[in-house]
Amino acid sequence: MKIKSRNFLVRLILFCIPVFMLFGCSDDSDKDVIVLRVSNWEEYIDEGEWDPEEDMIELADGTVICPETSMIEDFENWFYETYGRKVKVEYSTFGTNEELYNQMSMGDTYDLVCPSEYMIMKLIAEDMLVPFSEGFYDETVETNYYAKGVSPYIKDVYDELSINGHVLSEYAAGYMWGTLGIVYNPEIVSEEEASHWNLLLMDKYNRRVTIKDSVRDAYFAGNSIYNEALISSEAFLNSDTYKTDLDAILNATDKKTIDAVEDILSDIKENVYSFETDSGKADMVTGKVVANQQWSGDAVYTLDQAEEDGVILCYSAPEEATNLWFDGWCMIKSGIEGDADKQLAAEAFINFVSRPDNAVRNMYYIGYTSVISGGEDTTMFDYLDYCYGWDEESAAEEGIDTVEYSVGYFFTGDFLDEQDEETIEKYTILTSEDQTRRQLFAQYPTEEVMKRSVVMEYFDKTENERINQMWLNVRCFDLYKFLGFD
Amino acid sequence: MKNKGFSRKQLAVPYVIFMILFVVLPLLVVFYYAFTDASGNVSFTNFLRFFQSGKTVGTLVYSMIIALLTTIVCLLLAYPVAFILAKGSYCKKHSFLMFFVLPMWINFTLRITALKEILTLIEGNLAYHQFFNGVLCMVYDFLPFMIMPLFNSLTKLDNSMIEAAHDLGANKVQVFFKVVLPLSIPGIISGVTMVFLPSMTNYVVLDMVYNSTYIMGSLIGSYFSAYDWHNGSVISIILLIMIFAITMISNRFTEGNQEKKVSLY
Repeated sequence: MKIKSRNFLVRLILFCIPVFMLFGCSDDSDKDVIVLRVSNWEEYIDEGEWDPEEDMIELADGTVICPETSMIEDFENWFYETYGRKVKVEYSTFGTNEELYNQMSMGDTYDLVCPSEYMIMKLIAEDMLVPFSEGFYDETVETNYYAKGVSPYIKDVYDELSINGHVLSEYAAGYMWGTLGIVYNPEIVSEEEASHWNLLLMDKYNRRVTIKDSVRDAYFAGNSIYNEALISSEAFLNSDTYKTDLDAILNATDKKTIDAVEDILSDIKENVYSFETDSGKADMVTGKVVANQQWSGDAVYTLDQAEEDGVILCYSAPEEATNLWFDGWCMIKSGIEGDADKQLAAEAFINFVSRPDNAVRNMYYIGYTSVISGGEDTTMFDYLDYCYGWDEESAAEEGIDTVEYSVGYFFTGDFLDEQDEETIEKYTILTSEDQTRRQLFAQYPTEEVMKRSVVMEYFDKTENERINQMWLNVRCFDLYKFLGFD
Repeated sequence: MKNKGFSRKQLAVPYVIFMILFVVLPLLVVFYYAFTDASGNVSFTNFLRFFQSGKTVGTLVYSMIIALLTTIVCLLLAYPVAFILAKGSYCKKHSFLMFFVLPMWINFTLRITALKEILTLIEGNLAYHQFFNGVLCMVYDFLPFMIMPLFNSLTKLDNSMIEAAHDLGANKVQVFFKVVLPLSIPGIISGVTMVFLPSMTNYVVLDMVYNSTYIMGSLIGSYFSAYDWHNGSVISIILLIMIFAITMISNRFTEGNQEKKVSLY
């Protein structure tokens, strides 16, 4: 009897193992369909089902945008129409870059993922990415919407940022971008106060400000406060090497800087309402906090939400420096595995989401700013004008103060002093005065902000360990100090 | 003929498979990471590092303080309730018990969110009372886990013993401390284990009430998100050892109690 039941157990287990394995690979049975495994941030793509009464977008040139189906579905149909091949997108999401990386190192395979700049650099450094095919940047190909439409400004950033001799553009195509700043309630916090990172340390707002529960964002703010005097000094600002020096200072990971930032963050911990991951938006709207550290895209969302509740909030990119961040699509080696069809589908996916009307859809849906400026196509600028533009007459009728706001750097890649008059005029919109501190400013910051923006690069293993240890030191209960011996 | 149907042992097969796949195998992985270093060599440095740093040991101490306070408050609140419920009239007590267990059916994040709003009304700014709020919400979350085992052990308590103690001249206080309390120790022990250990790691509750100091659970999360499987696993092992120790101690208590019970008769 004993032996029999054990046999039964063994047989059952042996039977179960192949069944479990089958679950994993049942999708590959249909050979004609290209399966594209995409992993993206949560709520980071248009899911369709727009309400024609509330959401419909009608641009100046007559383009109407009001999709019923999701971006993924539309891509599958478009791919079939364009290439005559069927593609099936297996879409999944992740919450943080680290989560994505951990999923991949635990054995999940994806073909196309959309991490942030430092994670892209890490993936390049670890040789996990597939470079784009030769034709990807060929602007003469009709369907190369990314090459044709990417903002020259962002393209430059992708061309300049490099690791181990590889520039980012070889492996990654931009998706969304933005700055790191502060959302504040202008009735309580002044614009001047909100334009410095040390707002997070101000006694006046004790326990009424929040900071992101993220090592990198906190480190950036802490480091800006630590170097505030230096990087705001006239001599530094006017130096010829301003930009490179600023980059170096805000990417510094030497012991002295880390120790100083640790002290600052420990003080911030005692001053903030919370280290938040998601609650900050709601707490701003309900008024529990008066200012919080926020990414520009989330800031737009917060401002929109608050507006619906009748609360006016503003966004600022602190004067010391702001973190220029961007998320980009890149193809994973272990997923693509040299499969030309998969690579074709992956690149087509990037191009499809980069088509200006689709970029507008995503922007409207998620609140972040697309890296697409449209090139020849004017959809992106028309959308910007549609959202924020005023003509003088109607503004005067409504009693709204208007100002001119230039976003030429984004559309041409040149700053104002390099642009000719025609271009300046073309990319300057007339907008209400408050938008220079609100959604427009969050989505398309001014040139001045971009000049003092810094890309926070990938920290290698030892740097990462030091910074994580610093973070633990800030967040953990200090037993020795508590017991009195330091 | 006898062997046609499932034997008793075979009925356990689904559970055994589940255990092997989702409990034993993951535990082996945790053990592997805890006892190796980054290059895969067997080492104890991860453990040494944990006990050498004031910060990580501090986190352990801090978690224990939170867990201990939560357990004590839960016990103090739950015992009288369980006692009243258990000694109430038979038909009423089960419906009353429902009232106390009912909150368990609502998702705890929802409950804590509601509690947060109430606390904001009372306290104004939650961030000034992080520690207090943390313990309060933990108590709120875990209270039913304390009431249930206490209720069960107190219902089983034979009323004639209390009567006998009274007859023999004990006053109410004496009856409680000499008869009721010793006999309910198994219930207390199982309640304590059900509250103490989970509250050492339930960092979601603390996060929700903005307690920005890490406890053991958040420390594991923080290591894992920095791709540090080794140090994260060490903490899991340390917690596992604690669970083991507490179960051993509580077993001894219950065994000892049963012996007493025997000698009572």
